[in-house]
Amino acid sequence: MSLRNLASLSFFYPELILTGTIILLIVLDLVVRAKRSLALIALAGSVAALIATFDLYSAQPGFLFYRMIVLDNFSLFFKIFALAATILCIWMSLGSSEIKQVYQGEYYALLLTSTLGMFFMASSSNLLMAYLSLELVSLTSYVLTGFLPRNRRSTEAALKYLIYGGVASGTMIYGMSWIFGMTGNLDYAAIQTALGQAEINTTALFIAFMFILVGFGYKIVFVPFHMWSPDVYQGAPTPFTAFLSVASNAAGIAIMIRFFFPGVSRVVPGGEWLFISGVEWPHVLLLLSMITMTVGNLCALNQRNLKRMLAYSGIAHAGYMLMGLAVLNNEGLSAILFYVVVYLFMNLGAFVVVGMIANITGGEDIEDYRGLAWRGAVIPAACLAVFLLSLTGLPPFAGFIAKFFLFAAVFKEGGPFVILVLVAVLNSVVSLYYYAKIIRTMFLDAPNPEDKAVAVGAGDFNLTLLVPLTVLTVVFGVYFGPLLKYTNQSLTFFVK
Amino acid sequence: MENLLTYMTFIPLAGAAIVLVLPNNAKLIRWVSAAATVPPLLMAIWLFGNFDRNQAGFQFVEKYEWIPAFNISYYMGVDGLSISMVLLTALLCFLCIFASFGIDKAVKGYFALFLMLDAGMMGVFCALDFFLFFIFWEVMLLPMYFLIGIWGGPRREYAAIKFFLYTFFGSAFMLISILALYFSTEPHTFDMTVMMAQASKFGTEVLPIWPFNQLGWGFQHAVWMALFIGFAIKIPAFPFHTWLPDAHVEAPTAVSVILAGVLLKMGTYGILRINFPMLPEATADLTFWCLGALGVWNIIYGALCAMAQTDLKKLVAYSSVSHMGYVMLGMASFTTQGINGAVLQMFNHGTITGMLFLLVGVIYDRAHHREIDGFGGLAAIMPVYTGVTALAFFASMGLPGLSGFISEILVLLGTWQKYPILTILGASGVILTAGYLLWTIQRVYLGPPNEKYLKLPEISGREMFTLVPLGAIVIIVGVYPNVVLALLRASLDQLNQIVIPHL
Amino acid sequence: MDSPIQTDFIRWIVFLPLLGAIINGLLGAKIQKSIGKGAIGLIACTPVVVAFGLSLYAFFMLTGLEPERRFLIDNLYRWIDLGSLKVDMAFLVDPLSAVMILIVTGIGGLIHIYATGYMHDDNAFWRFFAYLNLFTAAMLTLVLGDSLLLLFVGWEGVGLCSYALIGFWYTDHANARAGNKAFIVNRVGDFGFVLGMFLLFWSLDAQGHGSLTIRDMVKFAPAIKEMMIWGMPVVTLATLFLFIGATGKSAQIPLFVWLPDAMAGPTPVSALIHAATMVTAGVYMTARMNVFFSMAPDTLNVIAVIGVATALVAATIALTQYDIKKVLAYSTVSQLGYMFIGVGVGGYAAAVFHLMTHAFFKACLFLGAGSVIHAMHHEQDMRKMGGLRQYMPVTFMTFFVSVLAIAGFPPFAGFFSKDEILWLAASSQHWGIWVFAICGAGLTAFYMFRQLFMTFYGRFRGDHHLQEHLHESPQAMSMPLVVLAIGAVLAGFIGLPAVLGGSQFAHWLEPVIHGHEEGHGSHALEWGLMALSVGVASLGAFIAYLMYRRESLSPAIFANLAGGLFYRLFDRKWYVDEIYQFLFVNGTLLLAKVLSAFDTYVIDGIVNGAASVTRFVSWLNGLFDNYIIDGIVNAVANFTFWAGNKFRRVQTGNINSYLYGILIAVAALIIVKIRYWG
Repeated sequence: MSLRNLASLSFFYPELILTGTIILLIVLDLVVRAKRSLALIALAGSVAALIATFDLYSAQPGFLFYRMIVLDNFSLFFKIFALAATILCIWMSLGSSEIKQVYQGEYYALLLTSTLGMFFMASSSNLLMAYLSLELVSLTSYVLTGFLPRNRRSTEAALKYLIYGGVASGTMIYGMSWIFGMTGNLDYAAIQTALGQAEINTTALFIAFMFILVGFGYKIVFVPFHMWSPDVYQGAPTPFTAFLSVASNAAGIAIMIRFFFPGVSRVVPGGEWLFISGVEWPHVLLLLSMITMTVGNLCALNQRNLKRMLAYSGIAHAGYMLMGLAVLNNEGLSAILFYVVVYLFMNLGAFVVVGMIANITGGEDIEDYRGLAWRGAVIPAACLAVFLLSLTGLPPFAGFIAKFFLFAAVFKEGGPFVILVLVAVLNSVVSLYYYAKIIRTMFLDAPNPEDKAVAVGAGDFNLTLLVPLTVLTVVFGVYFGPLLKYTNQSLTFFVK
Repeated sequence: MENLLTYMTFIPLAGAAIVLVLPNNAKLIRWVSAAATVPPLLMAIWLFGNFDRNQAGFQFVEKYEWIPAFNISYYMGVDGLSISMVLLTALLCFLCIFASFGIDKAVKGYFALFLMLDAGMMGVFCALDFFLFFIFWEVMLLPMYFLIGIWGGPRREYAAIKFFLYTFFGSAFMLISILALYFSTEPHTFDMTVMMAQASKFGTEVLPIWPFNQLGWGFQHAVWMALFIGFAIKIPAFPFHTWLPDAHVEAPTAVSVILAGVLLKMGTYGILRINFPMLPEATADLTFWCLGALGVWNIIYGALCAMAQTDLKKLVAYSSVSHMGYVMLGMASFTTQGINGAVLQMFNHGTITGMLFLLVGVIYDRAHHREIDGFGGLAAIMPVYTGVTALAFFASMGLPGLSGFISEILVLLGTWQKYPILTILGASGVILTAGYLLWTIQRVYLGPPNEKYLKLPEISGREMFTLVPLGAIVIIVGVYPNVVLALLRASLDQLNQIVIPHL
Repeated sequence: MDSPIQTDFIRWIVFLPLLGAIINGLLGAKIQKSIGKGAIGLIACTPVVVAFGLSLYAFFMLTGLEPERRFLIDNLYRWIDLGSLKVDMAFLVDPLSAVMILIVTGIGGLIHIYATGYMHDDNAFWRFFAYLNLFTAAMLTLVLGDSLLLLFVGWEGVGLCSYALIGFWYTDHANARAGNKAFIVNRVGDFGFVLGMFLLFWSLDAQGHGSLTIRDMVKFAPAIKEMMIWGMPVVTLATLFLFIGATGKSAQIPLFVWLPDAMAGPTPVSALIHAATMVTAGVYMTARMNVFFSMAPDTLNVIAVIGVATALVAATIALTQYDIKKVLAYSTVSQLGYMFIGVGVGGYAAAVFHLMTHAFFKACLFLGAGSVIHAMHHEQDMRKMGGLRQYMPVTFMTFFVSVLAIAGFPPFAGFFSKDEILWLAASSQHWGIWVFAICGAGLTAFYMFRQLFMTFYGRFRGDHHLQEHLHESPQAMSMPLVVLAIGAVLAGFIGLPAVLGGSQFAHWLEPVIHGHEEGHGSHALEWGLMALSVGVASLGAFIAYLMYRRESLSPAIFANLAGGLFYRLFDRKWYVDEIYQFLFVNGTLLLAKVLSAFDTYVIDGIVNGAASVTRFVSWLNGLFDNYIIDGIVNAVANFTFWAGNKFRRVQTGNINSYLYGILIAVAALIIVKIRYWG
């Protein structure tokens, strides 16, 4: 089915709810004194949107707004994902002392705006839509990055991010314009048919794809478009960093899959994808994923700031996920989806701890974690250990299962992909070193005499977030059948 | 008894959970953890009683769906190969809890981790699903890392991370091989028994890419080697052994015991459980160098290194390297004597080296150092302790009437038929072993009593309690080896029969 | 011999001493404190004496049977059962082992009793007897073992006990070191022994008769006669391996170095282990496996040569010793050499015969020496003795008899046994061997009489304090001396030479030792050689008399032969210890040090190196990341600003640059708003 504007609205209410919430927040910001209530409103709004989104599973998939937006399980998956991330981020912000100093009205409004952008990213079936949604997310991200008042690092990061994003998305849309020039179309389906029949210059198409890849690359954060992330991660308010690290990365994955798979590739029975002959973008991804994970891990090895280290580890993980794209099979894609979900829990969890400790000690350097377990913060330390080990990919934590599925999917293709898996596995070994370094600092090292105790009461608000995340990380490590099933189902695209 | 193995594996884990929620009362925690290791021990004894010695296949099997999508199942079972290890694990864990009563730093954490370790080890020996096996395999790493890293000696951090990274490096290769095997089975599955049954499916034609085409290696060989690296690190086989001395020297006594008594066995266990039946042709081709020659090298190299040590614990560590060499050598022989001897040696080494580490711990707790030349004349000061030590040393030396003798003689006898030269070299290790052990006895226990230690208290009741069962086993197995051999024979002979046709 | 008679008492011959060892070992300390040393002695001696009784019983059971059925077995259980390797925990009494157990339990029993007196002042009394019993048990296992593997158990067991007993007074490092030396040297021998065992097993197995049960091995021995390995007959290699084991236990060249040091142990130990029983294990083993040795003439020649060489070398060293026990130690080595000459020329029975007689007189000599040492308050230097005859007559008489015996004067035991060996050497045309052996006999007579004269004749050379306390030893010690002396006199008559009616003893061993050499040659020749050897012995004794009794002939004459070269050579034990120390001990230690350094710096270095390299690369990578790439990025950024400005002014319909303008403007506005309009 393909609907026009008004008819589309009836399948558009999650977005509407979000928009409503955003406006509401901006308005209330002027009147309400108790800023905390704004957070709760934002929370309520997103929860409502979440319910609405779930409700849409009953709807029949199709195009909305003149084929601008597509409604299918895949988009729903990422919408739900974005909302989950948002909710967790808001929850986290509630417990963060950083956020207390900022304009919470704008903060939450912008946060939801970027969520809205992610909605579009996940569901855009048109180059223009894709570009706009991406920019919407980027813009809000720039602002939120620089949101900490009178914090030089934050502003600098924002500016860097802005410029970098500007260049990247510029390059991307330039590539899009090439495609438009070649096919005269912006609609994915139309583009595909055009590429199918028309006699096209594969070199030009390849170049165009590469330009577009720049845009995606900087969202997903893979080398060489990763430069901004360490500074931004370090500069941005921690809750937003967490949000950025999982949500925008996932949205990038979504838009990329949308474009490269149903967009310009053809699926054959058995879940294998065929790319346009002569346009070897998968090979590029193969290479990039290797480089990305290696660079990410190597850079992470000697970082002193935990957030910065997590930024590099995030790059490495982006590299792992790219593998799933490069193999061009549905196992790969569903493995990516699975990975993204697990990554949400473990990475967000890690940031939660970072936030907690920063709240108390005000420090984010690894040095501030010396002997943490012996300074009264044994629970956060243990949780962080779980998250880090899960990020390393050690059983019995979810991270291992995610990696395992990914590696399995890649290995299945054989040939050069075996090498790819080998590289990835060895990378995990390297990554163990720096993850374990933090664990060592927290548990094995004795606290310095001058370090003050880190009292984490059982009543600490963040625990309400931390403990469930930890539990999930462990549970998905041993019982992940349902999640696997869900990700497999979410892999249905609506094309025609 | 239904789901026996599951209980054996998870009761300690439950114990760990309970320990975590207990109030911070050291005494209570100790006894609760001790209690958590009793049921597995009893079950192990029951298992020993009811194990059908004439059946080669797996017994007490449990199988449940886990991840149908990937044909991963929760599949447990024991055969002659694993049961000896299960018994060893249950016993050593039980004893080591008592050996750990001296721990006073973060007691709760220590015992919880220790029990997790226990569960992990049990799982490895019982798992019949490769995926499950790998998970248990990795799960052991964490507690070990923390146990060494938090409760260890001065250079504990270095030792811990070295152990962690080294083993994880090995598991990386193992993971790859697991996937390789998984995708070569039809239908894809992680079920080890199926993999064994489909061993013929694993190709042996030379792979066209470097370096395999140079080596003339096929798929089997590549996978074999990848797995071998993973296992060799655990054994530890030269040159992957250097984590061992560090880990042992730093680890607390009980952890050293587990490390040497159980963890090292996992290397050789893995090779016997996986490489032999699943990759028989590669096994036939690669065994001589990777197990036979390397084993002999381990024997001699380890012994000579041990001879040069000045730290008592390091000496024992290197002696482990040397003794595991016999296991490798025996595995390489493919004679019933050799392979049975090898597995018996695994069992014996567990008990004997366990004793040795406990004994080193005893003296370390008293003198607070382990310098071999720093003692002297202890026999006059602590006669009982010296007596027990002598028993352990002579067992380790392979003296007749004690368990070490049976396994070593069987290994050497079995190897002679195939590799006489290797046997001669390996047997010469017996002389070196006698050399460094006797020399150590002389320097530590004989000679004029060291007046610095005249006041050392005699070995305590608790310490004796941990040592006596092991000592008894050492003697019983030496006099009546069938106690263990009967368990192994059927399965191991069958294992031999799988490989021999490809020799 | 196919169906040995089943019995169930033989096990007790082994178990009783073992039981004694266990009781004394575990409870000895308490018993000694509460009840006293008497109890310990009782617990220790009773089992051995009873075992002796049982041995006699077994012996007479055998005599009651017709020769070819003289096999009693006591099978306990199947010890090892793997493939073709089936080993029983079984004890076998046959004519050979019967003789041995009589020696072990008999002489052993006497020495036990003797020790109760000798060790009486030692606080570790209980420990001593625990060891001694354990040794007896091990020795009996060695002798009774039905399979080569069980024999090996005893074989190593006695090694262990001798280690423990040599280092009995362990607080002195020298003793401990002597113990180590004994154990390790024996290990070298054992190394050869097991290899021989493996080779025989697999060769027989290849013929379908794989077994370690000696009876079966012997039965199927012919099957492997033709087999070759590494270009030589299997039996030759196997027997050579076994002989290496024998050289270890029986202190033959090249492994004899441990025995003299073993004298560090208490004298009863030297008597029991290092003279009467353990050191004869090698001879016993070769006799047991005689069928295989007979199949390997090359090996026999090697054995004969080694034997005679050892006999001579040890004798020469004994010439110069002043320590009363060292002399006896070297004479033991030398006598063992004679036994191996016997083996080498195929006279297994003769070898075993000499083994038995030697057990008597050598034990007697050692105990006599012990009695002297006891009286001299542990002074062992003969130069401080002399004239002890009148102080301790019993000791003197027994010692004298034994000296006559070992020197080979008729009709004492040594004469018959040694002479039979010599006769066999001669009659089997091993003239070279014979010549050296006869010289050795002469030397033996010399140094034994030298010892006799230095110790018991002349005037006392010790200090007065000692002289006052000189006394005959207590009953417990003198009684065994007498018994042994009687043995030294009479034991010979059961093995008369052919000319005097032939050897009963050899006949007794027939069922085990087949094809025993009777020696072929005219009676005249036999008489002649007999006379000659007696003559040589007398000559040696006479020279000793002149030197050390009459002192009319100065030892210096001989000492200065060839500029004292020989004297120094003999006195320094042919520098063997020094050479071994340099070659093997230091060599191994050096190698160990080198390897362990290699391990620490190279192998581990590589491991750590890999880690550091990774870290270094990551560091470089970080720099690259931060300066180069980031620099480029900043450059791009600057360029963008610049370009943006350009584009805003110049209206090129470039949607790209428009968007830029918008983006930058909007974002910049918001940031500025938040920063300053707040």
